[in-house]
Amino acid sequence: MTGVNATGVKESERLARVVLSRIGEPGDPRLTDLVHQLGGEMVLASLRHQAADRELGADLAERLESADPVLELERASAQGIRFVVPGDAEWPAGLDDLAHAPHLHERGGVPVGLWCRGKPRLDQVTEQAVSVVGSRSATTYGADVAADIAGTLARASWTVVSGAAFGIDQAAHRGALANRGPTLAVLACGADRAYPAAHRSLIDYIADFGLVVSEAPPGCAPTRIRFLARNRVIAGLTRGAVVVEAAVRSGALNTANWAGGLGRTVMAVPGPVTSAPSAGAHQLIRARDALLVTSGEEVLEAVGPIGSFTLEDPREPEHPRDRLPRRERQVLDAVPLVQAVDSSSIARTAGIAHGRTKDALLVLHRAGLVEHSLGRWRVVTDQESP
Amino acid sequence: MVATTRTVSLQGAIGHVVDVQVDLSQGLIATALVGRPDTSISEARDRCRAAVNNSGFEWPVTRRVTVLLSPTDLPKRGPHFDLPIAVAVLAASIKDFPQEGLPAAAMIGELTLDGRVRCVPGVLPMTMAAAARGLDTVYVPEPQTEEAAMVPGVRVFGIRSLAQVIALLRGEEVPEAQEVEPLTGSPLLSWRGEERLEDLDMADVMGMADARYALEVAAAGGHHLLLTGPKGSGKTTLAERLPGLLPDLNDDESLELTAVHSLSGSLPAGAARLTRPPFRAPHHSASRTGILGGGTGRVRPGEVSKAHLGVLFLDEFPLFPTDVVEALREPLEAGEISISRGEEDAVYPARTMFVFACNPCPCGEYHPYNRDHHCTCPEVKRRAYRRKISGPIADRIDITRFVEPLRPYERTLPFDRPEPSVVIRRRVSEARLRQHKRYAAMPWRLNAHAPGPLLREQWPLTGPAALRLDAEVYAGRLTRRGAVRVHRVAWSVADLSDIDRPGVDELDVALRLRSATPLLLSSLSGLRAVPSDESEPA
Repeated sequence: MTGVNATGVKESERLARVVLSRIGEPGDPRLTDLVHQLGGEMVLASLRHQAADRELGADLAERLESADPVLELERASAQGIRFVVPGDAEWPAGLDDLAHAPHLHERGGVPVGLWCRGKPRLDQVTEQAVSVVGSRSATTYGADVAADIAGTLARASWTVVSGAAFGIDQAAHRGALANRGPTLAVLACGADRAYPAAHRSLIDYIADFGLVVSEAPPGCAPTRIRFLARNRVIAGLTRGAVVVEAAVRSGALNTANWAGGLGRTVMAVPGPVTSAPSAGAHQLIRARDALLVTSGEEVLEAVGPIGSFTLEDPREPEHPRDRLPRRERQVLDAVPLVQAVDSSSIARTAGIAHGRTKDALLVLHRAGLVEHSLGRWRVVTDQESP
Repeated sequence: MVATTRTVSLQGAIGHVVDVQVDLSQGLIATALVGRPDTSISEARDRCRAAVNNSGFEWPVTRRVTVLLSPTDLPKRGPHFDLPIAVAVLAASIKDFPQEGLPAAAMIGELTLDGRVRCVPGVLPMTMAAAARGLDTVYVPEPQTEEAAMVPGVRVFGIRSLAQVIALLRGEEVPEAQEVEPLTGSPLLSWRGEERLEDLDMADVMGMADARYALEVAAAGGHHLLLTGPKGSGKTTLAERLPGLLPDLNDDESLELTAVHSLSGSLPAGAARLTRPPFRAPHHSASRTGILGGGTGRVRPGEVSKAHLGVLFLDEFPLFPTDVVEALREPLEAGEISISRGEEDAVYPARTMFVFACNPCPCGEYHPYNRDHHCTCPEVKRRAYRRKISGPIADRIDITRFVEPLRPYERTLPFDRPEPSVVIRRRVSEARLRQHKRYAAMPWRLNAHAPGPLLREQWPLTGPAALRLDAEVYAGRLTRRGAVRVHRVAWSVADLSDIDRPGVDELDVALRLRSATPLLLSSLSGLRAVPSDESEPA
């Protein structure tokens, strides 16, 4: 393919993609698919001649007039924003999977390029990454769980990817940052902007310690359709998606669908069954589209390399009684708690021969489970009850 | 000869103006005191006689002295009758004593044998009662001048001795007298310095978004709050910061509170009016009398009343004696407490916000929704512990929250620092202002005190919100009383978010607050207004 090789990207190709990023809508499959097949330069050239796709060309002609890619890159760089395109060493391979994923809501395809704000390299930071997404109208329960999961991921040096929105997104970023872990925010607006505005300081903080990424060029406003395109980038950058509290019509479900379409591990955290904000997550689990997870460890087990995080099934703590043979257990059940009795009475209650009962009592006595005085037996009571 | 002076007798927080009439006439020489005096007044006879004689006057020894305290059927108590009795006796016995000033003046003060005046508790409420009855002058012990002067429109004379009062009344030069010692207050139960509270700020509380908001709603509407959580999770931390969220008391409130403290004798000499909402945290070993009021001899207001218009924090609430807990029902519901003891009925105000705190189980580690809890209590003990919280008291608690121990992800980060108390107090003040406007014509000030029937009639829930609340009641998840309480909290939530009438969203928040279920993040005002020092680019 022209202009693209393994080590670097031709400057003309990068500039062409800057123009395309500026004039096209993020995730418009008419554009992304063409660019993925032909390269930015060729698509741009044909657009200029109205040849690529008549309808698309007409749509983009307006914006094409004023495009100035060199100035665009300069301005972005002044804001600490760089433009990463396929072929760059920094380009995460996972994003190319989007070329094969089914389109959703007429969005799809590999991004023309990604605008990145922050120091870490995009490919390195997404090497081991999981998205934690959920409803904006989350509850404190969901926020706590999301932050907890994100914190566990962060401590294991996994990157937490989310969308910097209110609710679960914010909690997820927060959980990662509080544990000094890497986190990445994918925005629907330009990487220089903050949406929601109240999260300006959160987003700036992520840019300082992690990475803020957007498919839309700097200055772009967040529109409804851009959120749908954004969700596909979140899915493409990560190995799995964890849905915490998504109502039935939540955008988080869109992210989960993208992750499913890309063959990523989709996970969902259940909530109270009566809770509306958890209904979408429950639906995912019910339809077997998602794996039920309840902690960061379980997420790591699901997305990590096989065998690297294995969890034991939760168990009740073992009680000394659990290891007793059947006969001793039967005798122990027959020993009274309060009023001590002699061994023959215990034998009657247990339904076991007197001699064997006495043997069993001695075993139990050695194990510290029963006590006796003057030939009468009772259970040792000072131990903790189960 | 007859002379009349006036004073005030207190029954709880209710003051009655009492006439002290002295008649000197022929008859069996004796001093008779009639009009249902208690022991301390009966003793006044001896104190007054000695005080009069030692002040350079003469007790009428050749005639019968009859002292009447009227109205007669009102039981009277307190040593402050000394001064009006002594003055009345002298006014009756001294020739040409000017009587004109007497009916418009209230005399308050105990006398010593050498004729000096001593401080008495309750000067402020007595002065308030006197002023309300049109008396324009009060004579009070000198250290309590400021206290009496808090009541507007009253001329206050601070006096040191009986001789000084007589001189004032006769328009003579006031003689010198020894200084009067201030009333010795006894802060029996406040176990932390009051000043410490001023330094406590919500900015120091990390995480706990849920509980923070619960505190804000409670502060806005004056609702009762229950915080449960493992030991060390921050229940006390939160409760202590609640008064800091409340606005200053207004003039009426401040007078009310100061009056209660005056009654309990805990007002320091020369103290200004109390303008900050009080915070009281009696220990669970405190006596029933200490918490509710009462006592032998004089009936004193308890902690419940001293926390009037403020916060009463009952930590380790299940450890309080059952009879105390049961007796809290009245102040929880009615905002006052009545103490009946023999002849005496005293009613003290107790418009207090209760904050109950308890562990989730005897060992304090249990958490119903946390798989990692380290509780070792047997279920039987847990249940017994829980039983102490539930029942009629639980139904009167508007807001219940679990307080979780701090988790690593709640560490404060530079982009979202916890809100300081000042910011929250501003919102609370605005919410309270809205309530004052709404209830302008009503005798209550806060949502929590609005009577249920009136609330339903004048400020009802409408549409889907009303249906939802009814559904909760019919489904048995809410008692009728609970529904009223949820209704009030819904109003507070609406007031906090500047909404004209609570809708289904506000009701939902109120139901969640009551049932201890997690809140929607979008309803937490602390998160809605994340302070940002950068302006948003266009």
